Amino acid sequence: MTTPDVGFLLLAVVAAFFANELWRVLGAVLSARLNEDGAVFAWVRMVATALVAGLVAKLVLSPSGGFALAPLWLRLGSAAAGIAAYAVGRRSLALGVATAEIALIAGMVALGA
Amino acid sequence: MDLTPSQEAPTPVGASRPFWQGARAALSTPGLVLFGSFTGFGAMTHDFGWPIWIAALSTILIWAAPAQLVLAGALASGAGIAASSLAVTISAVRLLPMVVSILPVLRSDRTSLGARLLAAHYVAVTAWFEGLRRTPALERESRMPFFLGLANGLVLGSTIATAAGHAAAGLLPAALSIGLLGLTPIYFLLSLERGAWGLGERLAIGLGLVLAPLIATVTPRFDLLWTGIIGGTIAFLIDKAARRRRSAQ
Repeated sequence: MTTPDVGFLLLAVVAAFFANELWRVLGAVLSARLNEDGAVFAWVRMVATALVAGLVAKLVLSPSGGFALAPLWLRLGSAAAGIAAYAVGRRSLALGVATAEIALIAGMVALGA
Repeated sequence: MDLTPSQEAPTPVGASRPFWQGARAALSTPGLVLFGSFTGFGAMTHDFGWPIWIAALSTILIWAAPAQLVLAGALASGAGIAASSLAVTISAVRLLPMVVSILPVLRSDRTSLGARLLAAHYVAVTAWFEGLRRTPALERESRMPFFLGLANGLVLGSTIATAAGHAAAGLLPAALSIGLLGLTPIYFLLSLERGAWGLGERLAIGLGLVLAPLIATVTPRFDLLWTGIIGGTIAFLIDKAARRRRSAQ
């Protein structure tokens, strides 16, 4: 992978700051008037949720960095272990994340990394 | 010397105690999981060839792990400024309802628009979740300083974690640095589920997971946008049909 240009990266981060902050500013300005139960609102939340979930799938199935050194079955298996622990452990984020991490690191150690 | 007039000003003294209580609350379990996930993000930016200060700056400025990850992912797959900003803005739509739902809890009668904008800037999944959970038990005047203390503590810890993850990525044994890189996706997936409202958003999670790899084979540069729009719309329609059926019965 080629190293990206620093000026380009800085510009991308600043542009992303504005793209991200837009919704916070709108929320602060509209907070008194917006209908939180409206249909448009619900749709927008679901689009954003699907987008972030899609990102998760991409990161696990086709990672572009060092995460790709872990074989696919281990990436999927450790995530599944985390989800199972989260579900069993009364939706505890810490438990789910810790379980996935332990499974992933143990798997890599077993593979001789 | 006469010190009484300055001692009578109540606001700064009254606000500093809840501020520091909030800052201490940043070191709770959700805060630590968040720091761990920013360590993973830092390690990932090292992998993508970002300088360490750009990675830390993105945490201070953008202050939303999903947006930062969308940005890094989009740039790594060759997107330009416009396409990556568009993907970021779509991922950030979730912030609007979060801001709208927390501000009425934080503000008092005297809260200015400036203070509301400042509080809104700090709204991100963990700060929002912990803020909503802890502030209602406080007096109204203490809520805003508590939240600002909490959020600043989270930003500070996350920025340090980002830099630490970036620095550690090249030094750690391979198993551990791969472990750091794997932290972010699982944290995201579980916190999405944790914050999901009702059937529609849970469906949106499942559809996003399934659709993204399929759509990536068709349009690799805008795959996340299309995954969001198609998956979100299907989830919305199913959710609506389910509601209608429930209310008809």
